[in-house]
Amino acid sequence: MFDISPDHAIALYTGLLAVPPALFFVRRRRGRGDVPGTMLAASVLMAMAGAIHLGLVWTHLGEPITAALFVLNGVAYLVLSQIFTWRWWRLASSALITMTLLGYSGFIVLGFDSPDQVALATKLLELTTLGLVLVPVRGEPGRPRRAWRWSALGIAVPLLTLMTVSVVWIIDLARPDAQHVHAGAVLQQTNGTATPEQLAAAQRLYDETVAAIAPYRDWHVASAAGYRPGGPLDQPSTHWMNQRYAAYVMDAKHPQGLVYANTKHGPVLLGAMFQMQHLGQFGPDPGGPLTAWHQHQNICFTPFGAEFSLMTPTATCPIGAIDLSVPPMLHVWIVDNPSGKFAVDIDSKVVKQIDQG
Amino acid sequence: MIKAESSGRAETVFVLLFMQSLFWLIAGISAIPFALTGEVFMGPLALVTMLFALLTCLVGIGVLWRRRWARGIAIAIEAVCLFGSAALLLLPLGFNRGPVSLMVNVLLPVAVLLLVRRSDAVSA
Repeated sequence: MFDISPDHAIALYTGLLAVPPALFFVRRRRGRGDVPGTMLAASVLMAMAGAIHLGLVWTHLGEPITAALFVLNGVAYLVLSQIFTWRWWRLASSALITMTLLGYSGFIVLGFDSPDQVALATKLLELTTLGLVLVPVRGEPGRPRRAWRWSALGIAVPLLTLMTVSVVWIIDLARPDAQHVHAGAVLQQTNGTATPEQLAAAQRLYDETVAAIAPYRDWHVASAAGYRPGGPLDQPSTHWMNQRYAAYVMDAKHPQGLVYANTKHGPVLLGAMFQMQHLGQFGPDPGGPLTAWHQHQNICFTPFGAEFSLMTPTATCPIGAIDLSVPPMLHVWIVDNPSGKFAVDIDSKVVKQIDQG
Repeated sequence: MIKAESSGRAETVFVLLFMQSLFWLIAGISAIPFALTGEVFMGPLALVTMLFALLTCLVGIGVLWRRRWARGIAIAIEAVCLFGSAALLLLPLGFNRGPVSLMVNVLLPVAVLLLVRRSDAVSA
């Protein structure tokens, strides 16, 4: 959802390249002085949407139906962008935009495509265009049918926006690719199945880490070594971070973080966390798919309670939270974690059992 | 008094602010599941965000009605949004630099600021 699909990238350029000719043709169009600025703006945005759809045809020639739909959609947008003085322009434009948005939602629900940044940007462009097509302008000549248009604007735009964003988000979470199996995190690319050598290397890393962090079962030792809680202690678990070890790379004796369960008996060590220093810089991966690093990205972080939520498909966070990404990390769980020794997360039931124990 | 009645400038600002208020509303709603699963501070943040979405929508209506106060608040909201986005873009925090983020967090505030700065959109 936050990536640009390689076969969609070209459409960004065709969309941007369409702006100058669209402005040129709008300025030369006879009768443009008789229509409100909202219609002229909608005309330019529709030309962009049309160019984006036509730009996608080239990379979808192997999918004849999809390519044909892109051609139809693109041509319809371009034609409508030029005939804004036509009597039925608003109705035709609204219908085309609504059908395109509904069609796209159906398309990704049926699994014909995955949502990406180009598609999302185009949908936001179309939703804004729909608003501009429908909004009545004060002093507009003719019969503006203001009540109808206000009703359509007040109902259709919010509904279509919520529907499109929800569908995109649900599909993205429900059908992640191999690199996005964990919400808010991207996994390191690895081979599919671990080789015997990778199995042995993963076990070696695990054994070394378990032995190296054993002293830190006593949190006082960890504290003396420089580890400090990186978040509130009233949560089920907390990462304790050590800035002195920031430069080490997957060194079992110097992990950048330790994870403690916050139990009524005090902190109980759950595992270690290795972390790289820079975004996108995945660490060594001796165990292949078993020890794939993960990078948390597009998470909304708030300093209030050091809490997180996920950034929306429209790239917004709640007020008081900011969008950020965290350099790649690899956990090593020393307790029995059903998700695995190197899983992205510790199972919440395990933490609860430890707390109750 | 309206000087440029059919320029559509105020109506365009209204549409952009309406879209922005929907984006805030979605951000507020999206924080609720996290609040329900133990991220307690996300609850108030979700509420504040949804109230802000309402405020943005009301400011849009104010601009539509050519109210001077609405123009002032719209400028303030977009200036703060733009400043925040610029700061996050400059800081090495991994702020999303995708086309959607740039459209919503940079282009939209810039468009609103450019449209409302001209006094012919609002004069009442």
